Amino acid sequence: MTTIQVAGLHVRHRRTVALDSLDLGFGRGVHGLLGPNGAGKTSLIRVLATVAAPSGGRVRMLGEDIADPRGRTEVRRRLGYLPQDFGYYPGFTVREFVAYMAWLKEMPAARTPAAVERAVTRVGLADRIDVKIRTLSGGMVRRVGIAQAIVNDPAVLLLDEPTAGLDPEQRVEFRELLRELGAGSTVLVSTHLVEDVAAACTEVTLIAGGRLAYRGTPEALTALGAASDGVGDHPIERGYTAALRAHREVAAR
Amino acid sequence: MTSTGIVLYARSRALPQTVAALAATTVLAVWATHSLDSYLDPERRVPVVALAPLVAATAIGSSLHSASEELDRTAVRPWWRRRLTHLLCLTALAAALLPLAVLSSAQIFGPPAMVRNVLGCTGLTAGAAVVLGARLSWLPVFGYVSAMYMGVSGLRGTSLPAWAWLLEPGAGGGAWATAAVLFALGGGAYAVKGARGTP
Repeated sequence: MTTIQVAGLHVRHRRTVALDSLDLGFGRGVHGLLGPNGAGKTSLIRVLATVAAPSGGRVRMLGEDIADPRGRTEVRRRLGYLPQDFGYYPGFTVREFVAYMAWLKEMPAARTPAAVERAVTRVGLADRIDVKIRTLSGGMVRRVGIAQAIVNDPAVLLLDEPTAGLDPEQRVEFRELLRELGAGSTVLVSTHLVEDVAAACTEVTLIAGGRLAYRGTPEALTALGAASDGVGDHPIERGYTAALRAHREVAAR
Repeated sequence: MTSTGIVLYARSRALPQTVAALAATTVLAVWATHSLDSYLDPERRVPVVALAPLVAATAIGSSLHSASEELDRTAVRPWWRRRLTHLLCLTALAAALLPLAVLSSAQIFGPPAMVRNVLGCTGLTAGAAVVLGARLSWLPVFGYVSAMYMGVSGLRGTSLPAWAWLLEPGAGGGAWATAAVLFALGGGAYAVKGARGTP
């Protein structure tokens, strides 16, 4: 079942076209969003997170048109979002910050304390829940960001560079969490780390120059790498560069 | 959790510190007004009536900053009500506290002038927060008040131009209208758009 449907999505930042008539659909599972810097990944995530309005096209999420204020409100209740740089209040503890985000999502008051503890436990910060965020390391702060994104058990979870700053062990644990979340939700992960996609995603979407460059499974992208002359140390990295080159060749014609 | 949420919102915007800053400004203004010089020379009330609203507006402007602006934009409920309530409550508090400093001067630079200046300065600051971000929102009002204060000797006559609303001594209708328009425009822009996101 498709939970996110994007049709003719167009996003422009002043004179730069970030997304150019993009058509995409995402269902339940973990979707890796790959692409070079400036490809339009963050623009797509921000539109889906309802924090940026597109200049054209339509987006339907969870059966609602997000251009409609009422539909957008309903979507926001069931949305989780981790921006690249989410910002936090220095005086807040982990518990307070996640609780504040739960309040913004209008979670039922009675459920919130338990939901906050569960979300913080899922990202491995249960022992730091009453510690001020400003005293945490960069990787821990990132995990606080993931906790606030999942506090409302979102039906759609949007993560922009979620593993930035995580150490290898934390990344492995995070992939496990992604797989767990993807079993019941639509999870869209924007990342530069192709190996995270290979390990945790059920589908790969490659964007370049604001357009769709490739869609398939991680296995298919790995196979593409094995059968082509792409650059990279890992087969899926070779598949990534091969798909990107193929898209650029077609676009240049 | 609703009350907890409101408390967390207040802390996220440093509202306790802002209220403390407004109280401290009032104490300072009372002290300045009742110092010997200003008692003997009513004209010395100009600094209090001009500078106290500037300090109050600066404190209010700082509270408009959101550290998690991107996440705030995913809030279920539209922000304009919260922003408007936030701004109105702090402005009302400043407008209630600061006139205490000039109670003994009912006609010239008295409470009406103080309330008017609080409205005008806060409106300017709220509008600046939309354009420049909350952290720099004090700049335009600081520039305006400084220019007015330094140029006060050049303003003489019974009726001052609309742009000199800050220094209108009595309850002039034009000065009040200008300050009210500034507050409506600046406050309205802030309620609708919010402060510009800054790192």
